[in-house]
Amino acid sequence: MTTGLLAYLLIPLFTAVLIPFAARTRHRLAGVLANVTLLAGLINVSLTLFNPANLASAFSGLAENGFALLMIFVIYLVALCVTFFSSYFIGNDSTVNRVPYYSLILTSVSAMCGIVTTGDFFTLYIFVEVLAVTSFALITSDDGAKGLEGAIKYFLLTFPASLFIIFGIAFLMLTAGTFSFESLKVIIASGLPVGGVVFAVSLILLGFLIKSGVVPFHTWTPDAYEGAYAPVSAYLAGIVTKVSGVYAVIRISMILRLFEIKAYHTAEVLMFLGMLSIVVGALAALRQNEFKRMLAFSSISQVGYIILAAGMGTPLALLGAVFHLVNHATFKTVLFLNSASLEKSAGTSDMNKLGGMEHSMPWTSWTSIVALLSTAGVPPLSGFWSKLIIIIALWDGGAKIYAVTALLFSVVTLAYFMVMQRKVFFGKPTEASRNAREVRPAMLVPVVGMCLLIAALGAFFPYIYAYLVEAIAARTIL
Amino acid sequence: MDLVTILKAAVAVPVIGSLLVPLAAKISVKARNAYAVALGLATFAAAASLLPHMMAGATATYSLSFPLGFDFVLSADLLSVFMAAISSFVSAVILIYSVDYISHYDNQTEYYTMVVLFLGSMMGLVFSANLLWMYVFWELTGFASWRLVGFFRSDRDVAKANKTILVTVFGALCMLVGILMVYFDKGTMDLRLLRGEPIAMGAAVLILAGILAKSATLPFSTWLPDAGVAPSTVTSLLHAAVLVKIGVYAYARLFGATFLVDPAFSQGVMLIAGLSALVSAGAALVEKDIKRIIAYSTVSQLGFIFLGLASGNKAGFTGALLYILMHSVAKGGLFLCAGIVEQNTHTKDITRMGGLIRTMPLTAVAFALCSLSVMGIPPFGGFFSKFLVFKGAAQNGGLLVILMFLAGAVMTLLYLIRLFYLVFLGEDKETNPAEGSSVMVASVLALALIGLALGAFIYYPSVYIDTLTTQLGIGLTDTLQ
Repeated sequence: MTTGLLAYLLIPLFTAVLIPFAARTRHRLAGVLANVTLLAGLINVSLTLFNPANLASAFSGLAENGFALLMIFVIYLVALCVTFFSSYFIGNDSTVNRVPYYSLILTSVSAMCGIVTTGDFFTLYIFVEVLAVTSFALITSDDGAKGLEGAIKYFLLTFPASLFIIFGIAFLMLTAGTFSFESLKVIIASGLPVGGVVFAVSLILLGFLIKSGVVPFHTWTPDAYEGAYAPVSAYLAGIVTKVSGVYAVIRISMILRLFEIKAYHTAEVLMFLGMLSIVVGALAALRQNEFKRMLAFSSISQVGYIILAAGMGTPLALLGAVFHLVNHATFKTVLFLNSASLEKSAGTSDMNKLGGMEHSMPWTSWTSIVALLSTAGVPPLSGFWSKLIIIIALWDGGAKIYAVTALLFSVVTLAYFMVMQRKVFFGKPTEASRNAREVRPAMLVPVVGMCLLIAALGAFFPYIYAYLVEAIAARTIL
Repeated sequence: MDLVTILKAAVAVPVIGSLLVPLAAKISVKARNAYAVALGLATFAAAASLLPHMMAGATATYSLSFPLGFDFVLSADLLSVFMAAISSFVSAVILIYSVDYISHYDNQTEYYTMVVLFLGSMMGLVFSANLLWMYVFWELTGFASWRLVGFFRSDRDVAKANKTILVTVFGALCMLVGILMVYFDKGTMDLRLLRGEPIAMGAAVLILAGILAKSATLPFSTWLPDAGVAPSTVTSLLHAAVLVKIGVYAYARLFGATFLVDPAFSQGVMLIAGLSALVSAGAALVEKDIKRIIAYSTVSQLGFIFLGLASGNKAGFTGALLYILMHSVAKGGLFLCAGIVEQNTHTKDITRMGGLIRTMPLTAVAFALCSLSVMGIPPFGGFFSKFLVFKGAAQNGGLLVILMFLAGAVMTLLYLIRLFYLVFLGEDKETNPAEGSSVMVASVLALALIGLALGAFIYYPSVYIDTLTTQLGIGLTDTLQ
């Protein structure tokens, strides 16, 4: 565990405990406390990341673990967007109880920070389970029947994942005698036979693949995202499932790369599943009529790009995977928060009942357009650069077919978003959309801010790349 | 101002300026319109002021370092400034014309934002000396054209707009694969370093796919006539100033002035261009929608430009570049005339029009002058370009190619005469409306007269292009004259 970053884990946990006492009679205080805690954390991590001294030295003087720091930034950012949005989204007539809601979000932030700072598989597993339990409760925040169904599906389908992970960890203990990432690297570098370790890590990998919602283990994601309480689905899709699954896959792939030839087959399977997710997710998204389900399938497809890059495992590919993970968090949060706004204002997220929202909800519409263009990899937005890095890395690593297919599937991504914008944002206004009103400005702050970030990540690509190389590749991968 | 500042301004003014159009719209409608027109004029002024410097042999380069060889390089040379000046000029005229034309539709702010952004990305594209940044601006133009074609929001319009973006983006992705092949083959995407390098056939074909998709040449031609659902100013912009010219420019830049290509590749391009010219000219002969006829005419004329560019000798290349100039002016004028006709008669069906010359004499004259230039009748500018393209093709193309293009040229004559006859001559079909507003008529007359003037003073553009061809052309066989 990186002790320097421990505060990011402990402070939200402290507030999570504080909220039930402090906000016992005044429920609104819960939201305020959560927002303040997360904002303070975000400012603190931003000060480290965007410190002029660090920028000037191209991040070579960064004291902390660069990968963890970046992930903490994204976690706090998405969590803050969600809590800030929620504090205006939860109406007075809502069935949502603010106290456990914010408490749970802060607990999960704490768990996610634990995941990204830990240095061994066992701690990782514990935090992942804490995260799973909090998400399970969060999905059912509004006591809806759909939410319960989503939560049960989420629980039942990710339960085997935990099983695989715990078996893998046990096997790791038997064969290698250690859980620590660093010790595993040493064992691998020593040249001893490592078949058992590869098997153990592959089992763990399988567990995390299920948790990432990669095809063919994707069936729980659309149901969970669709059924979840609206802001929670943004939280789940934007960051929770990414940290609990995809982050671990990238992390393992950073270790597996050291196996070189020895883990070749695992890497091949990983790449194949990644490609399959891109294809299946994109094609399935084309056929959806429900806004959130389409976003969920789009998520599967985008996770495919990350997994594909993680399977490639070259330093450049891993950088692309990390960058795409960050980008995915930004644009998916925008899209899911906007879907929540649509549901609140127009009363539905069925795309056939919506239309012409650009007139009644211009901000929601245009921020969604920016986010979806970034998802489709349209330059010069951030999504373009991360996809480009991934594709160049794939090509460079010899996987030319994968590179070309992944690139050409961008057009399918664009196609399903074309379907979406035609049905929802442009096109003829329907009954539901004529009556809709733009949500209050405060709820637009998170999405507009995220959109600016999407544009900035694209425009300041050289800085981002310098950070990825200096603070992540130079320390964590090599 | 030094050249680099002007160069930066030519790209930054429209790109960044376009993002501020919504803010100008907050002040007043007049302020927004004036601001958008000012941006167009400023861009043209910047591009045009570079022309004499380029002629005098100067070049300007601005570069910004990016990792992985993605350097952002803007470079002004004879070819890029030539293309920038044409595009920004026609765009500026279109913006002036728009002030009246677009004034009674919805989504005007989006319209002005996108037109200026379109112009800005075009500027970025022509000045980029890095393949990756060409691609970035290429996609930006795709985005702007998507919004502009979908200006009217009926389901049909939105569907056509989606078709536009999906076809062009698919082409662009093919091109990106080609660019990556070049990148891994040569280790750089900087066009200045790639000059004179041979290019692999596979990469060339993939890049060509992107070019043909953007330039609406067979087999990707269908989106362009469909994009005619947009307002006439937009179609004019797409046809004359920016979108389809991008493909032609990219071809001239990459295969005319950078890479050495296989002769078989050029032969293939000539065949595709010939087929495209012939098929679309045939379609133009039977269409009844005034804008679709002119759109098919564009597809057909683009074939001639590709013929000249691919013919691999100086005469053809010079002719093709002149053709870009003449076609931009004439086609811009034709579409803007069609806009006046369509807006005043409330129909696009030419069988329901007739005798408009009596009530709209100025528009009719402008239309006739532009048509004559497209047909290539001397002394219009279009004559010289067409002549040189044929001269170039006669030297290098096969007999089949020449015959296809001769047939195409004759058909151009036929469909434009048919169009003019049905719309402006003949019997009055209904009560004919009056002439369009003075700004609109002035814009089309200006374009028509410039077309005539370009023919009269053909000496100046041809000297410029001659210098351009001599300095930048690569792998061109013979000498002119």
